[in-house]
Amino acid sequence: MQIRQPILYGSVLLLAVVVVFVATGGGLFNQSTPWPVQWQHQTFHSLCHQIADRSFWINGQPMAVCSRCMGIYSGFALGWGLLPILSFADITRLAYVKKIAVVMLLFNFIDAAGNLFGLWHNTLISRTVLGGMLGSSAALIFVGDFFHHN
Amino acid sequence: MDEVAEQQAEQNNQPSYWPSVGIAGVIFGIIVFALSLVTGYTMINSEPTGSLFSPVQIILWVTVCLVGAFGGMLAIWHYANEYDISIKLGKGALIGLFTGVCLALVTVLLNQLWQVIDPDMTQKMIDSTIANFEAADLPDAQKQQMIDSTVQSMRNQNSIGKQLLYNLPMYGILNVITGMIGAKVFGKQEE
Repeated sequence: MQIRQPILYGSVLLLAVVVVFVATGGGLFNQSTPWPVQWQHQTFHSLCHQIADRSFWINGQPMAVCSRCMGIYSGFALGWGLLPILSFADITRLAYVKKIAVVMLLFNFIDAAGNLFGLWHNTLISRTVLGGMLGSSAALIFVGDFFHHN
Repeated sequence: MDEVAEQQAEQNNQPSYWPSVGIAGVIFGIIVFALSLVTGYTMINSEPTGSLFSPVQIILWVTVCLVGAFGGMLAIWHYANEYDISIKLGKGALIGLFTGVCLALVTVLLNQLWQVIDPDMTQKMIDSTIANFEAADLPDAQKQQMIDSTVQSMRNQNSIGKQLLYNLPMYGILNVITGMIGAKVFGKQEE
């Protein structure tokens, strides 16, 4: 297996994992400060609504991002981490992979809109799964860019 | 050695990406700021319901997030369209990073300017938040704790240092990724 641009791949992997850890919020580290003032919440303040009812809780504290954002970040980190394994599969047709990512983005919009207008009620799990599919499909776009098999 | 020299020469011959970074950063920075402002004033002018966010505010927030994250992609699209060249993933990541930083700087700068135009905005938002918590169906002790910590958090977000500390890395990281996606989607791929 050949690796191209290992520094770029490693840096993005590291950043993605760090983002997921920060997004889990202060509960993971049993922080004693109230969650709205924890640095993890402040970090994601401008990127997520952080509504506690729409977030997973750890140790009595909500995560720093909502369940959908958590799904997106962790899905991307997982997908990116699996790129060496996924490169064995022949997912090299970019247009096909791009379409999946666009479809996943649309699914998330439709799910959020449907919930907003009272057509259905989504759950923490359904939002996480849809977000995860969006995040991992975004990572899948890079299959074949970093790892090659002869 | 020759290959390295060739790559260096090729890099030097490529047009500058800074105009694309600037354009995308400023445009998306202004949009993010404007949407945040609308979200803030929607909150100030809404009746206390016991819930911190209305559906409209959630839509606005999601839009802010999407706009903030996709600045890198716009910069790549502009760069690729302008010069019709191939863009490597590393360069896409770099353009995305700079766009995210530029976007964050523009947003923070405009936020600071707005505090001169409407110095009472933060206080009005704090009052609205307190009114919403007061209307919420929570035990008194928990309610007071939530009010104190949320007000402290809102005051923290007013400081330019804190805004830069939190916004620069997050917008930078997100735009690194969208910049790379942009390079895959809009840049002509080299074989």
